[in-house]
Amino acid sequence: MSSHKRHAAADRDRDRDRDRGSDGELGPHGAVPPTLPHFAHITRYWDRVHRRFAAKLLPGEYYVTTAGEQIVTVLGSCVSACVRDRRLGIGGMNHFMLPLAASKGASSWGTAVSAATRYGSEAMERLINDILKLGGRRESLEFKLVGGGKVLAGIAIDIGVRNIEFVRKYVADEGFSVAGQDLGDIYPRKVHYSPDTGKLRVQKLTAVRNKTLFERERHYLEVLDSETVGNDIELF
Amino acid sequence: MAQLIMTVDDSASMREMVRATLQSAGYEVIEAIDGQEALEYARENTCDLVIADVNMPRMDGITLVSELRALPHYRLTPLLLLTTESSQEKKLEGKRAGATGWIVKPFNPERLLATMARVL
Repeated sequence: MSSHKRHAAADRDRDRDRDRGSDGELGPHGAVPPTLPHFAHITRYWDRVHRRFAAKLLPGEYYVTTAGEQIVTVLGSCVSACVRDRRLGIGGMNHFMLPLAASKGASSWGTAVSAATRYGSEAMERLINDILKLGGRRESLEFKLVGGGKVLAGIAIDIGVRNIEFVRKYVADEGFSVAGQDLGDIYPRKVHYSPDTGKLRVQKLTAVRNKTLFERERHYLEVLDSETVGNDIELF
Repeated sequence: MAQLIMTVDDSASMREMVRATLQSAGYEVIEAIDGQEALEYARENTCDLVIADVNMPRMDGITLVSELRALPHYRLTPLLLLTTESSQEKKLEGKRAGATGWIVKPFNPERLLATMARVL
């Protein structure tokens, strides 16, 4: 066995140990439930505390499950919409914020078509569309909203509040109601959402310990602001 | 007389954004909430251009394009699909159904208007 292969084998053993539940149960590592191909990049793992699979979202990602998985993320000033079909117990969550620079003054297009609004609407629509494609129906969708804390120091405007205002308005404009929410305040949040039951668990985190979170959000914001929103057009 | 554009989307927010963009450029706009409603309007009326979402209840945008192409007065009308879908397979379905072009959301208002001007 080459040294490279030995290392890989050792890594696998370590992974298996990590995935072993406290009662010795082997988490079905490598056998995560099937999902849609465009979710292949989402990190999923066996959560041995809750004894179920979990998907972990980073800023800008979203995930939809039909397999009773939990969806986990950490939110600073970003928001997540937790959406499910309460009849089928399938659903998902997104994790986004509105771009900053592009929304300044909302340009000549007015607030209805600012780049920020278009980006946010797309983040919401992708999530909702996937649930509908998997058999969900608009009239049985349940919405819970979370995040939007005022956590990023050094940015003059409260971007958490903008994200909250956007997501509330979007849900209202689309004719949905909000079944639960935990928004605003000054804390980062760790969020666990179970689309099968609709349960949303929120842990408020102390800000000082979350440097990675702030760096991630700042980076996400920088990437958003440097991207031109909407350029993919093809004429046949 | 202003050209009449039909925007078809099940999302009220998206219809609002498309309408605001088109009206700012002087177009007249009619909205439909899904493919079925759009088709019913189109059977009795002509439009200069149609912008339709793909994923919609009752009738999706690709079916709408096929149905419109079967109507004599929509044989040559520019039909644009505006969607979150960006896969080649979906695009090919749209092209085969007779769509004029494919625009992935989030859309850029300037580029949407420029694309419309090219096909109108």
